Amino acid sequence: MKLEIGNFYVKDIVFGDKLSLENGVLTIDKEEALDFVKEDERITEAELHIAKPGDKIRMCPVKEAVEPRVRPDGRSIFPGYTGDLAKAGEGVTYALKNCSVLVVGMHWGGFQDGIIDMSGEGQKYTYYGQLNNIVLVADTNEEFEKNEQQKKNDALRRAGHRLAEFIGACVKDMTPEETEVYELGGMIKRGPETEKLPSVVYVMQPQSQMEEMGYNDLVYGWDMNHVVPTVMHPNEILDGAMVSGSFMPVSSKWATYDFQNCPNIKALYKEHGKTINFLGVIMSNLNVALEQKERAALFVAQIANSLGADGAVVAEEGYGNPDADFVGCIVALEDAGVKTVGITNECTGRDGQSQPLVTLDEKCDAIVSCGNVSQLIELPPMETVLGELQALARDGLSGGWADDEILGPSVREDGSIIMENNSMFCGDQVCGWSPKTMKEF
Amino acid sequence: MKKAILYVNQFFGQIGGEEQAGTAPQIHEGQIGPAMQFAKELDAKVTHTIICGDNYMGSNTEEAVAEILSMLEGKEFDIFLAGPAFQAGRYTVACGTICKAVKEKFGVPVVTSMNSETPGVNMFKKDMYILQGGNIASKMRKDVKAMAKVANKLLNGEPIGSADEEGYFARGIRHQVWRADGKPASERMVDMLIKKLNGEPFQTELPIPKRDMVPIAPAVKNLKEARIALVNTGGIVPADNPDHIQSASATRWGRYNIDGEEALKSGEYKTIHAGFDPAAADADPNVITPVDALKTLEKEGVYGSLHPYFYTTVGTGTTEAEAQRMAKEMIPHFQEDHVDAVIMVST
Repeated sequence: MKLEIGNFYVKDIVFGDKLSLENGVLTIDKEEALDFVKEDERITEAELHIAKPGDKIRMCPVKEAVEPRVRPDGRSIFPGYTGDLAKAGEGVTYALKNCSVLVVGMHWGGFQDGIIDMSGEGQKYTYYGQLNNIVLVADTNEEFEKNEQQKKNDALRRAGHRLAEFIGACVKDMTPEETEVYELGGMIKRGPETEKLPSVVYVMQPQSQMEEMGYNDLVYGWDMNHVVPTVMHPNEILDGAMVSGSFMPVSSKWATYDFQNCPNIKALYKEHGKTINFLGVIMSNLNVALEQKERAALFVAQIANSLGADGAVVAEEGYGNPDADFVGCIVALEDAGVKTVGITNECTGRDGQSQPLVTLDEKCDAIVSCGNVSQLIELPPMETVLGELQALARDGLSGGWADDEILGPSVREDGSIIMENNSMFCGDQVCGWSPKTMKEF
Repeated sequence: MKKAILYVNQFFGQIGGEEQAGTAPQIHEGQIGPAMQFAKELDAKVTHTIICGDNYMGSNTEEAVAEILSMLEGKEFDIFLAGPAFQAGRYTVACGTICKAVKEKFGVPVVTSMNSETPGVNMFKKDMYILQGGNIASKMRKDVKAMAKVANKLLNGEPIGSADEEGYFARGIRHQVWRADGKPASERMVDMLIKKLNGEPFQTELPIPKRDMVPIAPAVKNLKEARIALVNTGGIVPADNPDHIQSASATRWGRYNIDGEEALKSGEYKTIHAGFDPAAADADPNVITPVDALKTLEKEGVYGSLHPYFYTTVGTGTTEAEAQRMAKEMIPHFQEDHVDAVIMVST
């Protein structure tokens, strides 16, 4: 399977008369874009903003991030979700780089939503602080979940994915500045030179904890709670087969943007044919019942063995209950003779003294650690807030609180905030961006 | 200028060797022994040196600590230092004990140094900065420098780096940090993966503590002839606690003769364990050390015979390392008396 991603670098974003990309300047016709967003009748109010690195902007509650893309052959960029089912991972996709569409609630947030700062001390806590962002701030008529802590955010998230496709379309007939090529043939047809190298699978554990549909990550539009682990081609993940969900403390989240650009996959690709034979992806999940966890681990180890994998990398999109899947899967792989590296974040508490994962096993001897979800973060007021900052304190965001005897409320009258890393939007970057690690003190 | 006070033992305090290890605490104005080098390295004046014999501190801990705390009463100091203690076992425990007490009483930062092979490390590393020290006194210069580096940061209100960077024993605290080189997780993953695949050494970013599982012993084959010993971590001791076993974080144990006794009598025995309500055990010590039942069963011929001593320490807060050491000290007594099995009562 061969995927060509044609890159167009966005250096600046402005509002103007016509949607276009010229000399690195992305121009968006705001009215046209908002009209397109409002085609979904659930969207009651919508506004568009631009947030670039260095801008004195804080966003809250952020719900999703998507890279604007288009497929020149007319296929949807998220098959089975924004368009008809079609094969992902093969052919040509165009991408607007250094650029993302962010979706922010105009008023209401929830457990799964987060914060992004575009400048100051808070900028470094998320990947999106360094991108040129098109920010959709909107409200919906989804009254049934307005005051729910767990929100599906369906209308808003879909609006983001659709808007990313709408904006990406402006480069459909253009020639990309550069093309990344991702090609991996059949696993048993790699040639003698490659087959001499140790073979490796990448095991992804995307979020699937909710029994009710509408919250979990999707694969080709199918809820991840309803799958048993299966083999996927890495190109499918890079090309829109996976869509992020709306459940879990958000620093652990893999945004759709993270799937589209998954650094772990790209790093394994880079080594392919040099130091490893990158077999492909085993797509697992994070269902809550113990039997489901054990079944998934059993499947993953069996598939790895059947494929003849010498090594594996396991990454989890979550912490707490999913730690059982993460550790269980690594143990199953090690027991099956597959040398395994894990990537995760930790929950060591505000004082750093708690056990890092809910379960531990000595077989997990090679872990890359990406941060502490419970680290306390205090940030000064920001000139501009997109969305409604009070959501952090009021709406049950995982890293915020209405009041605390010692710390006071998360959102103070002057606009300064105190929160746990839990609510930094995709802050722990377990998908592979993370420049953070954990140290003993 | 800020002020510091240093604690050293009789040897480094230049009083004498082992024969002076019983020396009671004394405080001197100015700098004695290692204090002179600290004076050069510290961003503070070393105003006093406290000297105490290692045996005095070890055998009369409560008194020694109380005496030293009262010596410090009214003195101005911004930091308290002890050691470096190198590989001297008793000295490391003394340094940890006094640092912990001073920190709790006066609220000042404390810093000490000891070798990784000493009991003081596991007992106190969660309570204070303990620099990873050398094994012999010739490392004095290096160990003092390392202590002073951390002490100066504390004195100047600068952030203390990670355990690796500063060279202290990790205190069981894990925080996130931004790597100086910004190397993303994906590249760290690939590096680790390739090393692991190739059988090369690699460093995990989340060390998992080794679980020291002790397999359950096989059943006693012939109970009717077995000699049985009774051990407990519930702190049952003769009422005057003759071995001064600590009520928590114990480093001491004792064994008590029960030859000819039918049961442990309330008043003669009690618990000194600080981790549970002692009322029931004080009223009837046999609920923890069932001497009464064992004597009855011995008479009935259910098992062979009872070893004539029971053994006691306290389990609460006691480190695994200390527990292992104490067990190793008990074992020769069992072997000498041909004990076949031990009943281990925990609380």
